[in-house]
Amino acid sequence: MRKLARLFAAGFSMSLRRTLTFRTNLLFDVALAVAGLLSSLATVLLVFTHTDHLAGWTRPETFMLVGTYELLTGVKAAFLDPNLAWFPSRGIREGTLDTYLLQPAPSLFLASLATAAPLALVQAVLGLGVLGLGVYGHPPSPLGVAAWLLLVLAGAAVTWALGVLLACLAFWAPRLELDVFYNAIWQLARYPVGIYRRPLRLLLTYVIPLALIATTPAAALLRGPQPAALLTAAVAAATATALAATAWRLGLRRYTGATS
Amino acid sequence: MRRILRLTALRVRRQFLDWSGTWWFTITLVANESLVPLAGLFVWSAVFPGDPRVVSYFAALIAVQIMTASYENHTFSETVYQGTVSHELLRPQPVVIGPIGENLAIRLWMALFGLPPAVLAGFLLGATYRPADLLLALPALAGAAVLRFLYTWILALTAFWTERVHAVVTFGGMLMALLGGAVAPVSLLPGPWRTVAQALPFHAMLGLPADIAIGAVTGPAAVAALGRGLAWIAAFTVLAAVVWRSGARRYTVVGA
Repeated sequence: MRKLARLFAAGFSMSLRRTLTFRTNLLFDVALAVAGLLSSLATVLLVFTHTDHLAGWTRPETFMLVGTYELLTGVKAAFLDPNLAWFPSRGIREGTLDTYLLQPAPSLFLASLATAAPLALVQAVLGLGVLGLGVYGHPPSPLGVAAWLLLVLAGAAVTWALGVLLACLAFWAPRLELDVFYNAIWQLARYPVGIYRRPLRLLLTYVIPLALIATTPAAALLRGPQPAALLTAAVAAATATALAATAWRLGLRRYTGATS
Repeated sequence: MRRILRLTALRVRRQFLDWSGTWWFTITLVANESLVPLAGLFVWSAVFPGDPRVVSYFAALIAVQIMTASYENHTFSETVYQGTVSHELLRPQPVVIGPIGENLAIRLWMALFGLPPAVLAGFLLGATYRPADLLLALPALAGAAVLRFLYTWILALTAFWTERVHAVVTFGGMLMALLGGAVAPVSLLPGPWRTVAQALPFHAMLGLPADIAIGAVTGPAAVAALGRGLAWIAAFTVLAAVVWRSGARRYTVVGA
């Protein structure tokens, strides 16, 4: 575990140095993160010019939700997307996976977390700022903050596991590029799950648990820890992680290599 | 002109066949285009429960998104980065024919996969339209298709200057979603923003055909909006020609 943590830190450090070499790109990424956040905030402000509640959430509460969403979106963009984006074409069809299999570290770790896009963390920091905006004047209880933190960690684990599971499908169908789909459906987590109609709400809660990304943690921050939500999140995170590891193992058994 | 049209038709046919093998990816593109208006549908249905115009507007918007989708930052800009645009520069035909052909082929596939579920979802959710409004929305849709291509094409041409074309196009997409009617119908924007949004090209790229289809923009207002769209098409055509000429002059490539 310590070895993996050291590898992770080394990969992040290398990515950071590589990124800082190109200053203009840095400017683009920061500007884009700010623009994305402003766009999210503008949407929320616009909605609340027409109503006081969105599926039971007030404006400051929605800011908490958007802040949590932006935080996890930044984490996803920093650690998951640079590794698993286009995995079917790069990893399987072009054979990048072969190099991971030859290295003395778990291939799942190397394929999903070896590199990073550190600048995307700007979005996560801005998300924390928005969260602060929501919390301002409505300070949550220490237990609520602890529950929020646990749920965010569970959400991060589910995010990673879903990314890996979708990437694993490429072992059976190498032309199946689902990261565009994942990024698209991810956007639905930006709003309270309560706005969606029943079949979609059930899908986003139990099948693709995007409710864990923002709605559940923000609700914990508002209403304090709910034992049922914490337990469900822990079970969802553990199940999703185990499923991802199993799918990866099964996929590797099927993989025959693309390079010589 | 006939030669250009024939070459474009040939390119559409070739790209249509090329894309026939990536039907699953096309479906993910359809999902990607549909989800922003779908989220808008749920948000605004929660704000105005029971208002049938919300469902009709966003169901029409999903169709507009699918039929006007443009990916020149992927199809063209990558050829600049990889240097393969040189092959196109050597051919005795305008380079833009290639991106137009691929754009139309992708839209055809996306319409084939995306329109039936969009129509079905609209029907199930209770979207209703008057045939006359739908007919009037067709020229607006054609204008949106041309305008959105030109807009993405101009942004994609920034690949001649920067490696971050995807960031540029993503930023352009955000503006389009905010001011074009994807996040919220333009009529729901606060006063001054509404005026700005109606004057800018984004509404004509996205929300205008949906607004006309549900009867929210009719008569002289619709004609004026279509006129503004045409003016933006003319302006973007000139701008695209200028940016292309300047970018092609700047472009250098090493190797065969």
